[in-house]
Amino acid sequence: MEFLLENILNLVGFLVGLAIGIMSMRGFRNTGSPTLFRLTVAFFSISIGFFVIWAGYMIEDFVIKSGNIERWIQTLGIVIQTIGYFFIAFSHSIKSFFPRSRYFRTIGIFPLFLVSSVQIEHIFRSVSFILLAYGAIETILSYFENKNKGAISVAIGLALLALGEFLGWYSFVFPESILYSVSMSIKIGGLIALFIPVSKIPLTKIKFDDNLE
Amino acid sequence: MVEYRTHMKIIGDILSTTRDDLQDEEGATVTYLIRKANISHSRISRILKTLVSQGLLEQVDTQGSNKYRISQSGREFLQAYYTFTTFADNFGLTI
Repeated sequence: MEFLLENILNLVGFLVGLAIGIMSMRGFRNTGSPTLFRLTVAFFSISIGFFVIWAGYMIEDFVIKSGNIERWIQTLGIVIQTIGYFFIAFSHSIKSFFPRSRYFRTIGIFPLFLVSSVQIEHIFRSVSFILLAYGAIETILSYFENKNKGAISVAIGLALLALGEFLGWYSFVFPESILYSVSMSIKIGGLIALFIPVSKIPLTKIKFDDNLE
Repeated sequence: MVEYRTHMKIIGDILSTTRDDLQDEEGATVTYLIRKANISHSRISRILKTLVSQGLLEQVDTQGSNKYRISQSGREFLQAYYTFTTFADNFGLTI
């Protein structure tokens, strides 16, 4: 059950990320907007992150057959996804994300050398949670300003992804519980909610002109 | 509260004025565009120069004054601009 859900989640994540990434890239190429460039990087990163984990599961299932995905592959996928979540949050102008003090910047890197790959995965899951929660809050705030209904769906999508990350991280505390499956189901729901408003954009009406780059 | 407009939004405002809100068939004068787009003369001059060089606006000389009207590329750009503004709005962002 978990294996099936994991595969569905990673495939949906890969496809949704790719679709939104391609759409953002077309927008960037046609308008030159830096916001669309950041969204392109964000969603391509998210797509690649999900693909890495999916490929890891496939290789494990059909080639290695050890019964467990290589931990470093899972960690790598999560790190790449976190980069994508960072760019979504960064698009909302995170002004105080990095500590100003040089001392804190220096010691901020150290913990990454002192922990195992499992702990690194936990760290990046929690960072992802913070970035996704930030993105969800900023998006819903923008809804109150613009009353754009699509923003509600995106905010719900980001919030569900954040909740899924949190439950996924929490399931390490209760490894035999249903929490991990619930986390994956919630994340699949979040990705679908993220894609709904984007799928309504009428791209077919636009004649793309390469000379406008 | 004063609304902050991005460079892209100002370009969108100028192009939409030259498409939908022209004084006459020949195009819009710089003074008219300054009033409609609500920006300074020095800034709009730079933007107009860029838009003309990119082929988004056409410059027409009439009776000793320059007028601007939107080109076909400009219309396509404006359509793409509106589409991707909606796209970015969904993420709570402005392009």
